[in-house]
Amino acid sequence: MNNFFNKLVELFTTPEYIDSLLHGFILTMQISFFAIIIGLILGTIIALVDTARRTKWMLLPKFICKVYTTVIRGTPMALQLFIMFFVIFAIRGFPQIITAILAFGFNSAAYVAEVIRSGIQSVDIGQTEAGLALGLSRFAIFRYIVAPQAIKNIIPALGNEIITVIKETAIVSMVGMYDLNMAAKDIGSGQNMASYIVPMFVAALFYLAIIYLITFIVKRIEKHLRKSDLKTTEA
Amino acid sequence: MNNTNSIITIKNLKKFYGHNKVLRGIDFTLQQGETVAVLGPSGSGKSTFLRCINYIEEPTSGEIYFANTLITHKNIQKIRQDIGMVFQHFNLINNLNVIDNLTLAPVKLHLMTEEAADKKARSLLRHIDLSAKAESYPASLSGGQKQRIAIIRAMMLSPKVLLFDEPTSALDPESIGDVLSLIREVADAGMTIMIVTHEMNFAKEIASRIVFIDKGKIIEEGTPTEFFTHPKTPRVREFLEKVL
Repeated sequence: MNNFFNKLVELFTTPEYIDSLLHGFILTMQISFFAIIIGLILGTIIALVDTARRTKWMLLPKFICKVYTTVIRGTPMALQLFIMFFVIFAIRGFPQIITAILAFGFNSAAYVAEVIRSGIQSVDIGQTEAGLALGLSRFAIFRYIVAPQAIKNIIPALGNEIITVIKETAIVSMVGMYDLNMAAKDIGSGQNMASYIVPMFVAALFYLAIIYLITFIVKRIEKHLRKSDLKTTEA
Repeated sequence: MNNTNSIITIKNLKKFYGHNKVLRGIDFTLQQGETVAVLGPSGSGKSTFLRCINYIEEPTSGEIYFANTLITHKNIQKIRQDIGMVFQHFNLINNLNVIDNLTLAPVKLHLMTEEAADKKARSLLRHIDLSAKAESYPASLSGGQKQRIAIIRAMMLSPKVLLFDEPTSALDPESIGDVLSLIREVADAGMTIMIVTHEMNFAKEIASRIVFIDKGKIIEEGTPTEFFTHPKTPRVREFLEKVL
């Protein structure tokens, strides 16, 4: 225990180690942030195509989206990362971070699409029928009736997906990128502290802290949405 | 082409779900000012019939004319403004409060200003004694309250005909009376109405014409007196023996 404490002090008093950790943390956050943005945008588009009405010019886009989500969800993330690094973007000098962002963004999009699709489909069909009977357009029905109700179902699962992306980015160390996970391994290696337990413990705390923060924010949003759902004049 | 008083004319309407032939050729005309009750056993296709009229359910084949205009995919959205509909499960918009439920369509369709819609909505709410619920959300209302609000929501666009799809089937016995008396009031005010219902006494009292559907076809039509006291077909006689 004493040894653990000494190592902890050593870690936090050696500027190079702190520097490495922060560098790793920043890279982890950069990849996660942009991957999540891509995932949300692309995932929303896929979900909208997937839930759109079956008209004849939607059949091909629907089929493409189906194949996309099936392939992405049916293969390991680590393999997708390798394919992006060693096949698709095996271009000398191409920035690694962009490859990683795209790999995680494309992966996350498939999961986000599923979350949004099931959120939209969980809205009672009677809500859409009421809108139709009132003469509203499909767009107005989605905008004013379906989407606001779907969001309530979507937010919690979307929070989950964001957390998953942040944790999964740890596998970029497999292609030699210096993220938080890699930084912990590097600091603990023979030519540095020669002990893994403290740097890995600290890295775990970093992950835990950011994920706790996101969980907290998502819970607040959820609570806010539920409140507006149930409020009455009496309340 | 048709009688000038007819609001809805239906020719050989069919609706199939795969091999399941729910409507097998319906011909029907609804005249201005009529109150038509559509009766029939469950699964006979009477709800589907009603829902095909405003294309909530898309017909497999057949022609539907609204005020002598053939309904098509292109014009149905506009025509729906003139065909109000009340559902079995109310279908108030869950994420909107009562006032917004009432004003959404007229405002978004640019048929009324927000102020005008709000004013009309509040006066209709006052009429059904639910002014206090204007800012409430559907989740906090009883079934009877929801259905009465759904009825005035359909009235907001001043439709030429109102379709009621089993409006009391999901209600507790106590609130059925409230909803029925509101429907009666709307009918007495001259609204043209089609109502699918299991309330035989109500149908007898309110309807100017009864239509009986069985296995996807209209098998008997007539005034309530004819229908209930001198049924022509054995099927209707059998049905009436069971329900009355």
